[in-house]
Amino acid sequence: MATEQQEHLKIEQLRQHSADEIETIAGREKENLEGWIPSLATDTEIREALEKAFDYRGDITITLKDGAKVEGYLFDRRSGSSLKDSFARVLPTNDRTKVNVAYSDIAALAFSGRDAAAGKTFEAWVKKYWEKKAAGEKNIQIEPEKLD
Amino acid sequence: MAVPVSQAWTVASYVLKQKIKGRKRYPLVLMLEPLFRCNLACAGCGKIQYPAHILKSDLSPEECFRAVEECGAPMVSIPGGEPLLHPKMPEIVAGLVARNKYVYMCTNALLLKEKLHLFKPSKYLSFSVHVDGEREHHDFSVCREGGYDIAMEGIRAAVAAGFRVTTNTTLFDGADPNSVRRHFDQLMAAGVESMMVSPGYTYDKAPDQNHFLGKAKSRRLFRAILSNRKKTWQFNTHPLFSEFLMGKRNFECTPWGMPTFSIFGWQKPCYLLQDGYADTFQELMETTEWENYGAKSGNPRCANCMVHSGHEASAVDYNFSSLKGFLVTASKYMFPSTYPDPDAQKLLNEWKPEHATPLVQIQSSASDNELQTVSGD
Ligand code: SF4
Repeated sequence: MATEQQEHLKIEQLRQHSADEIETIAGREKENLEGWIPSLATDTEIREALEKAFDYRGDITITLKDGAKVEGYLFDRRSGSSLKDSFARVLPTNDRTKVNVAYSDIAALAFSGRDAAAGKTFEAWVKKYWEKKAAGEKNIQIEPEKLD
Repeated sequence: MAVPVSQAWTVASYVLKQKIKGRKRYPLVLMLEPLFRCNLACAGCGKIQYPAHILKSDLSPEECFRAVEECGAPMVSIPGGEPLLHPKMPEIVAGLVARNKYVYMCTNALLLKEKLHLFKPSKYLSFSVHVDGEREHHDFSVCREGGYDIAMEGIRAAVAAGFRVTTNTTLFDGADPNSVRRHFDQLMAAGVESMMVSPGYTYDKAPDQNHFLGKAKSRRLFRAILSNRKKTWQFNTHPLFSEFLMGKRNFECTPWGMPTFSIFGWQKPCYLLQDGYADTFQELMETTEWENYGAKSGNPRCANCMVHSGHEASAVDYNFSSLKGFLVTASKYMFPSTYPDPDAQKLLNEWKPEHATPLVQIQSSASDNELQTVSGD
């Protein structure tokens, strides 16, 4: 779920124009979250941080109040009326079994993994393409990342 | 007819059954994503941006079959990632064909030629090859020079081996309608059964956040492309969805029409937006707040969306919702129109690239000054 802040360019644009008349729709602002350790002092901060973790394209590390750690990809969150019935859902780094963590059990959260979306803008590709072209390179491409 | 009669009949009788049962929401196509890894790294794709352990995960054939049975849709589309990288894809496809599901296996075709022998031609199986335009446009959009030639080679090999082959073209801001029309000629000449074309979308997780079409421009672009169409062009999209793209009619979104299943579960609410996951199909249908999606909802993320996965099911539902809908659709199939439109031709003749980005410096294979004429043949 993109936050209002992330969507604000589009929301601003839609305030001025009807969606049916818009020629080119605004994108969203991407936050640099890699390495971030949010403060979880209030319920609102906890909820906002987990909303951002849900949007984040890297692994996160959750430290539980009992000291245990859950590291993996936060693929979903379910927001209930209290922190006790709100859950972060994680696919751990070394397992395909989904883990549910109650918000109320979370002591700390870190955006510990590399952001897989960072630096991969279309503009970056265009720039790289023309630089390589100018240098006379052939078979220009972006290679998928090695997984091993 | 752009799809075999048996397929059209299966879909029609399925939809009628849903209507008779009084089901307000029913799925038409399951979007099955058995993996996210890919052998391309397109700048327009957010599907591959995950940590390595996610990219290395696959759905097992059993998980795929369970999802297909839970959902019950008569058609299964297999996007990804690149499905041909899944070690058990032939087994998955064979299992779906054995269940009489019409399968569209979406592929960039880089591996198609070498893996063809692992599949058997069937009326239930179509390779849906992603080709985003003429050579330079496709290569640029998939961020790999030479990708077009390999894909076209894959298409020709699959056609020659007796497979059903369809294509899928996604257009972003900066698309040139004249080039897209030439692209259609090239695809039909290569022997494809039918083509699909759809606008790109301000996909939340896509790395390219600045080249998305708004609705006004989408309609103009599709009017230029799809009016005055050649009789040789075959499309596998619903004729009313094509009219929706051209701005001739409006449809609200039907996000449950093409539900998505992946290693995360059932995606809420649609193929594009990720607002969470349900563990079962029933949970997806019952717990998604559907009223929060679609243009009418005011959700800014749905504001400019005209994509096939959200709106084609609306066109199909319209057929079966009233006698008028049925008659309109039947006439479109029986007497297909070429949509003659002199203003659209003018639009096409006068179309100028609008952005000063390097993207529009890509030269098409035909001369830039060579304007396409309408033959309507
Ligand atoms: S309009 Fe429909 S298909 Fe498009 S993003 Fe919204 S819910 Fe998804």
